[in-house]
Amino acid sequence: MPERYGRPPQGVRPTPDRDSKDWWARLAGHEFAVQRCDTCHTARFPPRAFCPVCRTEDWRWAAVEPAGTVESWIVNRRPFMPGASEPYIVVLVRLAAVPGCLIHGGWDGDREPEYGQAVEGVYADMGDDLALLNWRPTEWHASP
Amino acid sequence: MAKRLLEFRDRTAVVGVGYTPFTKDSGVSTLTLACRAILAALDDAGLGPGDVEGLATHRVGDSAAPSLVGPALGLADPSWYLDQFGGGSVSHAVVAQAALAVAAGVAETVVCYRAINARSEFRMGGTGRGLPVSPEVQYQAPYGYFAPPQQYAMYARAHMQKYGTKAEHFGQLAVTQRANAVKNPRALMRTPITLDDYLASRWIAEPFRLLDCCLETDGACALVITTADRARSLRRAPVLISGAAWGGGDSHLSGGRADPTTTAAAALAPRLYAQAGLGPADIDVAQLYDCFTYSVIVQLEDYGFCAKGEGGPYVASGATALDGALPVNTHGGFLSEGYVHGVNHIAEAVSQLRGDAGDRQVAGAEVALSTAQPGYILPATSALLLRKG
Ligand SMILES: [Zn+2]
Repeated sequence: MPERYGRPPQGVRPTPDRDSKDWWARLAGHEFAVQRCDTCHTARFPPRAFCPVCRTEDWRWAAVEPAGTVESWIVNRRPFMPGASEPYIVVLVRLAAVPGCLIHGGWDGDREPEYGQAVEGVYADMGDDLALLNWRPTEWHASP
Repeated sequence: MAKRLLEFRDRTAVVGVGYTPFTKDSGVSTLTLACRAILAALDDAGLGPGDVEGLATHRVGDSAAPSLVGPALGLADPSWYLDQFGGGSVSHAVVAQAALAVAAGVAETVVCYRAINARSEFRMGGTGRGLPVSPEVQYQAPYGYFAPPQQYAMYARAHMQKYGTKAEHFGQLAVTQRANAVKNPRALMRTPITLDDYLASRWIAEPFRLLDCCLETDGACALVITTADRARSLRRAPVLISGAAWGGGDSHLSGGRADPTTTAAAALAPRLYAQAGLGPADIDVAQLYDCFTYSVIVQLEDYGFCAKGEGGPYVASGATALDGALPVNTHGGFLSEGYVHGVNHIAEAVSQLRGDAGDRQVAGAEVALSTAQPGYILPATSALLLRKG
C-alpha cells in the first residue's frame, strides 16, 4: 500500500524580483520560459541580467517544454512552516532545456520519484495570477 | 596563486580561545554572550581589553555587531571592524580576514567571535522567523522547501543515488562524533548512541533523521588573533595560521555546471593547500563543518582525504574516529558538542594543536584543518590550516 503524500503548505507566495517578475508572469500563463543569450545563445535559469558565459546583457525569453530528469528528492516530515502536517515531496529536476541547470518543484506522482526518472512539468494555479510548477513522471505517456 | 598569499603563511597566530557554556536557553542577549566569550578568550591569551585593536564577527542579522560589542566592553577606538553578513560558509573567512588585517599591520590584535541564541531566539531551521533573504528563495519556498535540513537532505540524496552512500554511513558518522562528545565536558550531548539509535531516530526530511542534524544551541565562542612574533611572548603555546582561504564555487542551481554532489570546497582546497605548503596527508586532525552528517562525508572527498564518492565507506571504516587515520570533529562537532556557526570548530582545532584537549586529545597533533559550510546554500566557503607553533 503506497503511502499518500500531501502537497506543500500553501500560503508562502514567491516574492518576484526585478529580474524574475516577467518569468513569474509567463508561468502564470502556463508558459515555462528560460532566457536565451542573444550573443552566444546559451540558455539560462533562473532569470539574471547577464549571460554567465559571455557576460553580455542582451537576451530574450524562449518558451521551452518543462521536462527533465529527477536529480534528487526529499520526503518532508517535519512541519517547518504552519499548515504542513502531511508528509510531502519536493523534487530537484535537471532541466532538459538548460544543460547543467537544476530546478525545485512539488511532486505530482503517486509514488516516490526515482533517480534519473524522466519527468514533465505540471502547472498548478494558485490564484491571483500565480502558478507554480510541479513535476510528474512522463513514462506513462510513452507508448512503446 | 597570488604571491603575497604565500608570504602570509605562518605570519599570524591564534593565541586565545574563550567560550560561554553551551545551553538550550542562555537567558541572556547575544551581546552578553559575545562579551563573556571575548573576555574569556583574552584571559586565556593573557591579554586584556586594552590590547584589542579589532573585532570581527559573522551573522545573519541575529547577533551583536562589533560596533555594539566595542562600546559594551569599553574599547576605545578600535582600528578595525568586520561585520560579515553570512552563515557558516563565511565563518572561517572572518578569521582569515582578521589574520590578513593583523599581517598587514592594520591591527595588532583582533578578536573574532560568534554569539548565537540559535535555540531560544533565532532558529536557523526557520521555525519562528521569516524566510532567508536570497533571490533563490522565490524558486524554493513556494514548494515548502527553505530550511537547511531540507536543502542538505536533497544534496545527500543525490550523493546516495550517484555513489551508493548509505544511511548507515551517515549513522556511523553520528555515532563516532557522539563518542567524541562523551569525552568533552563542554558538549551538550554526552550519552553514547548506537547505529540502531540513529536508525530509530525520527524522520525530519528523508533521507535525514533527527540524528543527522546539528544541535540548535545558545552560546558564544571567541578567538584572539595576533602576529606570530607577539604570540611567542604570550601565555599559551601559539597556533600558527598556515593557510587561510575563502572563495567561490558554483551555484548548484544555475551556471551550467550544477553538480549537487560536489561543493565549493573542491575548488578551494588546492589553493588552501598550496598556500600552506601542506596536503591532505599532512593533516593530523580535521574539524569539518557538520551542520548535517552528509556535509562531513562530501568534504572528506572534496578536501582530498578519499576519492569522490568514497566518503561514506571512509567513515564506515573507522578512519574518522579518535584512533583512526584522520580524527574528525574530535569535540563531537555541531552534531554533539554544540553549534556556534563554525567558530567552535576552529577553537577545537587550536585545542588539539596546543595538546590540551584532555581525554579526546589526538596524540602528536601538529597540523589541523578546520572548515566552513562547504558552499551548498550559497556558493562560497572558507577554511583554515593551522600548525603547532
Ligand atoms: Zn552569452
